[in-house]
Amino acid sequence: MDDLPTDDRKSVRPFFSPFLAKLRRLVFFGSVVLVNLIACYWLYDLFTRLGMHRAHVLLLAVFFILNGLLVLGSFHAIFGAWDILWGKKQAVRITKLAEKAGDGPLAKRYVVVMPVYNEDCNRFCARIEAIYRSIEATGHIESFDFFILSDTRDLDLWVLEETAWTNLCRKLNAFGRIYYRRRKKNSNRKAGNIGDFVRTWGGGYEAMVVLDADSLMDGGDILKMTRVMEAYPNLGILQTPPKLIRGSSVFTRLQQFAMRLYGPLFIRGLNWWQLGGGSYWGHNALIRVKPFSEFCELPDLPGREPFGGKILSHDFVEAALMVSQGWEVWLAWDIEGTYEEAPPTLIDHLKRDRRWCQGNLQHLWLIFARKLPLTVRAHLFMGIMAYLGSPLWFLFLILGTWVAWDREASGLSNLPYDGTLVDRYLHIDGVTQSLILTGFIFSLLFLPKILAMIGSILNPRVRRSFGGFFPLVTGVFMETILSMLLAPAVMVAHTLMVSSIVLGYAVGWGGQNREADGTAWSEALSVHAVPTILGIAWAVLAWNISPTFAAWMSPILLGLILCIPVSVWTSRARYGKALAKSKILAIPEELNPPEVMKLADLATASIDPALDATQQGRHGVIAAVVDPYVNGVHVSLLEPAELNETEEALIERCLTLGPGAMSKDEMIELMYLAPGMLALHRAVWLRPAEGIHSTWTQAVESYRRRIDTGSLDDIT
Amino acid sequence: MGLPHHPLETLRPLTETELAEWEEAYAAVEAYLQALRLRNRLLVAELVRAILWRASARGAKEPGVPARVLAMEETLSEIANWTQDVLDEPLENRRLAARGRLALLLADMPGKWQGVFLTPAPWPPAFKEAMCKSYLAAGPNFAELTMIPQPLELNVIGEGAAQWWETMDRRPIVRKMFALFLLALIGATVWFIFFE
Repeated sequence: MDDLPTDDRKSVRPFFSPFLAKLRRLVFFGSVVLVNLIACYWLYDLFTRLGMHRAHVLLLAVFFILNGLLVLGSFHAIFGAWDILWGKKQAVRITKLAEKAGDGPLAKRYVVVMPVYNEDCNRFCARIEAIYRSIEATGHIESFDFFILSDTRDLDLWVLEETAWTNLCRKLNAFGRIYYRRRKKNSNRKAGNIGDFVRTWGGGYEAMVVLDADSLMDGGDILKMTRVMEAYPNLGILQTPPKLIRGSSVFTRLQQFAMRLYGPLFIRGLNWWQLGGGSYWGHNALIRVKPFSEFCELPDLPGREPFGGKILSHDFVEAALMVSQGWEVWLAWDIEGTYEEAPPTLIDHLKRDRRWCQGNLQHLWLIFARKLPLTVRAHLFMGIMAYLGSPLWFLFLILGTWVAWDREASGLSNLPYDGTLVDRYLHIDGVTQSLILTGFIFSLLFLPKILAMIGSILNPRVRRSFGGFFPLVTGVFMETILSMLLAPAVMVAHTLMVSSIVLGYAVGWGGQNREADGTAWSEALSVHAVPTILGIAWAVLAWNISPTFAAWMSPILLGLILCIPVSVWTSRARYGKALAKSKILAIPEELNPPEVMKLADLATASIDPALDATQQGRHGVIAAVVDPYVNGVHVSLLEPAELNETEEALIERCLTLGPGAMSKDEMIELMYLAPGMLALHRAVWLRPAEGIHSTWTQAVESYRRRIDTGSLDDIT
Repeated sequence: MGLPHHPLETLRPLTETELAEWEEAYAAVEAYLQALRLRNRLLVAELVRAILWRASARGAKEPGVPARVLAMEETLSEIANWTQDVLDEPLENRRLAARGRLALLLADMPGKWQGVFLTPAPWPPAFKEAMCKSYLAAGPNFAELTMIPQPLELNVIGEGAAQWWETMDRRPIVRKMFALFLLALIGATVWFIFFE
């Protein structure tokens, strides 16, 4: 069955019964639509009672969308809870399938790929080391290769990556098993990086585990996934739900706690309806290479960036293309050993969101694509609305404020009419009606948290894994308060992002800050100035309309007014550590780290004083020229070539004027020139100090310090 | 250890300039050996002395060439030739030196085989074996696949929107007029809802 040609695989029976899948989707989305319609009618009835205002039509339209999103989110948790309680037959899908597949050697070869872009190489190498050792412990390492796919643009980091990789291979005895490749041009960003790998080496592997630079996965779980992929030939992508780990700032601790506690409910709910029509989130997933190469090269979108051009958020689209071609995409929700890290501060989070926002808004085009199944459109729609929802919330609040102001200014009675259907059949007054609606909205908002908390409290094992009853409840309380305070700032930021994208400003591709240094007050002031001013002005307006209205608006207004101190406070690692001491916002992986995390913590194979390009005075590029070993490694990874006159002149300029006088393009040209790098190495050691730039002479001089294991002892 | 064929009697008086030149040459060779992570001071001193003797002998035949150049040329060629002998393979292109240095690193010369460095054959079999199997491979053999983008098939609404969007991209005047029209529409809606 495995050797069937790609097109014939479509004839293999889908793993999930199409009837069951359709029924589940009908039940799920039918419930969402029904509940939303009832809520919208309830609001319409209330508006009628209060006296229809022209803005109410717009308010109702916006409410329909926003409440729909809220119901959709909440129902994921409800159906997730349902599935956890009564869906035991489905409870261990991947694990059980892997068990069924047996424990013999793998029939195919697999590859773990980690695309990197200007990352801390020792940190990502530590993750690779941990994954490598973890797979090695299963006894199946011979079926796996590893690739570090570098798109790094910083030239110093490029050299550091080469040395870190060499050290890693030396220590793990993994030459010929862990590979390093740097692209000359990073066209089409991460999708292009993976695509380049697939085009060059993809044919050697059945499937690839795609990671991010901050990803960590347990080897045993990777093995289970590969077994399932071997056993089920229609499976195109197996996506795991990564857990956030290693949060040190309050902000990341909040995120990882929320994701760890509430996440399983949403994941189970999502899996309940998507079944074989799932989505791909860009990392921590196993992808079958052949269909990926056949169907997942991304088309350009109509027009230019930011809405058109190259697709920025490639993952959803790749999954969509797979599903539309009859390949199944599963969510491996019972895979536990899958982790990632999160941006440490609100500002870093928003910077990353800017990129995702543009990428997801581009998916608007795909909503209008032919032949896409419903599940694919649902995923794309949810991705788009994750960002488009914010300007809609903003509009909703503005319209609400306007209606309140207009009513207050008009001096009309608040309850002019009582003949609505709700009044006639339920005999409740308008105040009760509005309170019921408010209660309903709040229930939808908090239900996932309440369900998750109750579930965790009632399960002693889970309760203990979060630190016990008190830390768990305190964590939920704290997370709720802080996320309420953070949400308005995020809303305004997303609104500004969407606006700037609509106005045609495209986003660049920045590296990510994965350190928890914290946000400076000045930075917070500049980034959050707009929401703060907006919050103060809005609060004054709301108070003028009426103190009651201001009280209703206070959760939003407080979030806006306080966003600078909240952003700074939540960015501080010292407060996060203080909370960690009391087990507040603790997650099971923090209190009882899994084996692969311990391996990653101890992993230092990429660091070795024998091959080191990190020393001051001979860092990165300088080391690649001056250091005999770093130069040896760098040159060995280049293609052989001969020098021409122009290149010789370039080398001479670099020698006499120093690397600082060269343009980045010139340095790149030099660094890709094997004989050039050899000539430079020879010249900096051979020539007297007067003939070359001081950068080189100082670097050469720096070796007159004794190099002992890990320490430098000056002997000059 | 030691160089018995270079007794002190063979020394000749040196001028201050010569001494400074040879001091610089000494420093450069010593630094290079340090850069190769040779930790043993006695070993480094002996190797530097041997290399400088050879450079000095060459200097007598090549007057005018700076001592540092002579010494470092000797150092680099000695290491390259020696690693070639150990590797026992012709290293034809200009990457000879890099291949040799890399083999030293990967065989862990600085950690396990300092005492063997630049010594004549026979070398310990384990060292020779470690040197010979030391290589770097950035990737396995190519196993290529083709990736051709599938055209994006849009429905009627999408197709119309795409054509309109591309027209706006090509013609800034159309884009500006469309933006003005949108603003006017939003303005009219706001006016109708809030002020009419």
